[in-house]
Amino acid sequence: MSTTTPSAKRPFGVGARLRRKEDDRLLRGRAEFVANMRMVGMQEVAFVRSPMAHARLLAVRKPADAADRVFTMDDLDGVSPIVANSGLPGFRSAGQYPLARDKVRHVGEAIAMCIAATRAEAEDLAERVEVDLDPLPVVADMLQALEPGAPLVHEHWDRNAFLETRVDDNLDDVKRRAAIVVTRRVRTARQSMAPIEGRGVLAWFDSRLDQLTVTSATQMPHIVRAGLSECLGIEQGRIRVVAPDVGGGFGYKGILLPEEICLGWLAMKLGHPVRWIEDRFEQLTGNANCREHHYDITGYADESGRLLALDCDAVVDSGAYSSYPFSACLEAAQVSSILPGPYVMERYRCHTWSATTNKPPILPYRGVARTGVCFALELVLDAIARKAGREPHEVRLENLVQADQMPFTNITRKYFDSGDYPECLRRAVAALDIPKWREQQKKRLPDGRRVGVGVAMFCEQGAHGTSVYYGWGIPMVPGHEQCQARLTPDGMLELRIGAHSHGQGLETTLAQVAHEILGIDPARVRLIHGDTAVTPYSTGTWGSRCMVMSGGAVASACKVIAQRVRSIASHLLEAGADDLVLEDGSVRVAGTDHALTLREVAHTWYRQPQRLAADVDPGGLEATSGYKTTQDTGTFSYAAHACAVAVDDELGAVEILDYVIVEDGGTLVNPMIVDGQVYGGAAQGIGTALYEEMPYDDQAQPLASTLADYMLPGATEVPAIRLEHMETPSPLSVFGQKGIGEGGAIAPPAAIANAVNDALADLGVEITESPITPRRVLAAIAAAKRGAS
Amino acid sequence: MKPLHFTVNGKAVVTRVAPRTHLADLLREELRLTGTNLGCEHGVCGACTLEVDGAPARSCLTLAITCEGAKVRTIEGFDDDPVMAALREAFSEHHALQCGYCTPGMLVTARDIVIRLPQADEARIREELAGNLCRCTGYVGIVRAIASVIAARNSAAGGR
Amino acid sequence: MKAPAFGYERAHSVEEALLFYASGDEDAKYLAGGQSLGPLLNLRLARPSMLIDVRSIDELRECTQTPDGLVIGAGVTHAAIEDGAVPGPVGAFLAVIAHGIAYRAVRNRGTLGGSLAHADPAADWVSTMALLDAQLDVRGVTGERQVPAESLVEGPLATKLAPDELVVSVRLPGWSAAARFSYYKFNRKPGEFADAIAGFAYDPERGVCRAVIGATDGAPAVIADALELLAAAEASEAAVTAAGFEPGSFEHHVHAVALRRARDRLIAR
Repeated sequence: MSTTTPSAKRPFGVGARLRRKEDDRLLRGRAEFVANMRMVGMQEVAFVRSPMAHARLLAVRKPADAADRVFTMDDLDGVSPIVANSGLPGFRSAGQYPLARDKVRHVGEAIAMCIAATRAEAEDLAERVEVDLDPLPVVADMLQALEPGAPLVHEHWDRNAFLETRVDDNLDDVKRRAAIVVTRRVRTARQSMAPIEGRGVLAWFDSRLDQLTVTSATQMPHIVRAGLSECLGIEQGRIRVVAPDVGGGFGYKGILLPEEICLGWLAMKLGHPVRWIEDRFEQLTGNANCREHHYDITGYADESGRLLALDCDAVVDSGAYSSYPFSACLEAAQVSSILPGPYVMERYRCHTWSATTNKPPILPYRGVARTGVCFALELVLDAIARKAGREPHEVRLENLVQADQMPFTNITRKYFDSGDYPECLRRAVAALDIPKWREQQKKRLPDGRRVGVGVAMFCEQGAHGTSVYYGWGIPMVPGHEQCQARLTPDGMLELRIGAHSHGQGLETTLAQVAHEILGIDPARVRLIHGDTAVTPYSTGTWGSRCMVMSGGAVASACKVIAQRVRSIASHLLEAGADDLVLEDGSVRVAGTDHALTLREVAHTWYRQPQRLAADVDPGGLEATSGYKTTQDTGTFSYAAHACAVAVDDELGAVEILDYVIVEDGGTLVNPMIVDGQVYGGAAQGIGTALYEEMPYDDQAQPLASTLADYMLPGATEVPAIRLEHMETPSPLSVFGQKGIGEGGAIAPPAAIANAVNDALADLGVEITESPITPRRVLAAIAAAKRGAS
Repeated sequence: MKPLHFTVNGKAVVTRVAPRTHLADLLREELRLTGTNLGCEHGVCGACTLEVDGAPARSCLTLAITCEGAKVRTIEGFDDDPVMAALREAFSEHHALQCGYCTPGMLVTARDIVIRLPQADEARIREELAGNLCRCTGYVGIVRAIASVIAARNSAAGGR
Repeated sequence: MKAPAFGYERAHSVEEALLFYASGDEDAKYLAGGQSLGPLLNLRLARPSMLIDVRSIDELRECTQTPDGLVIGAGVTHAAIEDGAVPGPVGAFLAVIAHGIAYRAVRNRGTLGGSLAHADPAADWVSTMALLDAQLDVRGVTGERQVPAESLVEGPLATKLAPDELVVSVRLPGWSAAARFSYYKFNRKPGEFADAIAGFAYDPERGVCRAVIGATDGAPAVIADALELLAAAEASEAAVTAAGFEPGSFEHHVHAVALRRARDRLIAR
């Protein structure tokens, strides 16, 4: 297992397996999650939510004795709807009122809010609010949504589609030459991201500062501030958004919430603090909002399985509204740009639809469209391999971008910055030991279960920047990421960043970066984040970007501090600035023991300025510096997943027997944290593959309302994953690090489905729908038997 | 509201509580012990697991009023407990937590496994963890951490 | 979600519990461990006027061997049974069943009687006690009676018990030392409710062979004379059809497999 080794002079720097600075408070139950905060005079909020998926909102009747504690959209004077338009041509726009006006468009949509001293009493009140709804025909399925004559979710549109995109190419020649043609219909279920902590908002108004403070479990406090300003109609300077400890994000908290607007308005209206904590019922029934894709995909290949072209019609169920800031069409637009994966092909055609339905608005979940795309593409590659009569990994090895082609611009003009994709797959296949499992497959397991093996590969664009997002035209385009660094008078280092850490361990890894530049003990570094009042602007934590972007910004700011420290110390030590080295928390004349501690330098700057040189930089020991990668096309981490599964062909149950991941995340800043990200992502991918599904009936009623129905994988469902690293540095980032936060979640559905299909291949069974539940497995077996007879 | 007398983290508590209030809400909102997190409030996720009379319990499914005379111990009440100290150390060493939201409940369950099942192997540890969901770690570090504490206790016992 | 408002009384004896019921209204409910009722309260699906807490009734927590068999107090927790509170071979079988119920933190509070009275068809005790030919000792405002476990459940969360009736204990017949038991539960995750349950109980000394098909839409299907089923695996299909499952359905299929596997397990013992 190769990992970056920190240098002797930088023992806690890039590559160190440093234990996390954030652990202690979390292990002692001393975290500050939003639900842990109470304020004097605070009232709790409960929402009245729509029980119907599509209906006219005729009337909301407040209980006479509590009319002043119930609020509807009519009460929210001055509040504008959420608008998250894409600049892509043909985008259909529709605003979302934070509380429903005129119509409701999905189950769980907020209609009214109720306040009381306790949440239980607020719910008692919510039960007494009478809502008159006149049901409308429901658009429950994305294909139905696109049919001519389908009822319209937004009446002023001509079609239930936020956006249609086309990548066209002439496939005629390929069609003539292709010896193998494989067409599949692939479907992935709608999911709930289900962080263990739900959403939550605490809002209050500070009349001294004339400022609304919204504390929210969010991944992007600065974006929420911008959105609140737009919707509440007040200046951004009068809004402060605080993201305290946040119990997992995964994309679920990368949004401007209707509830944030509602509580912000309430706090200003009422003058006392208000709090809303999402409960699991609200989350599952009203916010299952990711992953639902449909593909009609055809792969063309030669007789050996070499890919010639892909042709795909892809539909994403984007739900009823366009969420801020990512919009309703990021997901489908991404499908068309990343479907080719890490593979080479001659031709490519892809049409996508962001279908509008009466379901909760879609949000990008860890991996965004890649999980569905990888599932569709890798199923097709396995089908091609079966037709070619070859091991699936052998076919892949020939189709992958080869190491000597790097850097490589692929068919959709993605710039793969570095790596050796075939080597990654070879290592995964070797680690799994496919021949061993093939032997086992012949004789089955002792208990009679079948055995199958599967592989899947992907590459993951991370930390992509301005040009990529400008191209998508959504309300948020990332630019330079900034860090403000400050040495305190006692020589501590404060780092302020606008992104947020909620499990990723940035308090630790960014301290490692600071140590790498300044030689300061990470224990003497404090990361300050999650508060718009005291941090530089940032689009926040999403897109596997923080280690590259915030890491780059911290390095950049620390370099400025290093320069200033050298300059001050040069005068004090009477040595040339270039002769000074920063290590062990000191600045030292190289090759001597003539040194000052950072504390002494800082003390001089702040407390003994009479000792400073006359021409000292007046910026002192505080600097804000910005960072972009050398080109903003993104780092491309990649991985091969390989697994062996047991399939009980009588009950349809699938068990993962072995699971191997070989991942290349470039330079690993903290290998322990990288491992954790990959393991955790893979667990979510296993959930997507086998367990997690929010079923809807034909009235778009969600059929799971508890975690007993919506099944998250537990310790018995996630195996002891074996993980290996390759480390090909990215040429684009400061230390060669690549974004890896999402990768683990991308490949498991594909690898597991391929393994299940491998186990059932002799029955003629091929499953192309996730999650792979016992019901689906048995149905596929039964269908294959009917087909054979 | 009904009177309630019980012990929380070794301290006698006398309060009044609405019968419908579950133990987690009483601890969090009235007693301001916010280390016990709520994840689902229907007993599946395990985030709110704490100790009632020495055994793990779901505080979301335990009405506070039923704790008359009980001894309740929350994550804030284990600072002098050597097993919990070892688990905390191991959780950090094995990166058994990320966002930390499931961690208090996870630790209470982990401590029960270590004490009740000193022979537990990896499969048994995983089975016993089935009632505590973690969305961040993939359980790898959690299982390793618990196994390491069991192994250390067994080798210490064997050395005596 | 938070539970709706309700009243609360703590009973220290069965008589006191019945008295509380008699003095309240018919929407009062007995509360034992609360592990099944709790989620329903928190989802506001259950709306009792009052909960009568029976956890402090010592009598409900006793477990005794009688000449005729075993009497297990309704208030005995799943965890106690898992840890061996019930003696003998039946106790060993029950310990295995108990271990498979939900999670330890739930088992520490959830009770045998509470689970039976809650009557979720997918719950383990409903099927197990029917399999073992148990009788429930039940006391109500107007008297006491016995209800066979086999006919307790009338539908999902619905039983033959009157609202005032409290399960006091569960009485098991005297299975001999030669008796063998098997159980097969098909569920997607440990601790989750079952998609299919099947079990066999065979006591050659007493000439008893019973089987159960559980996790149905209502009462578990008991096959009181299961010798034929034990002899021929093919009979599983017909037994599951007789239990009301539609041939060709997923439910029929998995129940038939579970029944066959329970049979195989018994034979392997």
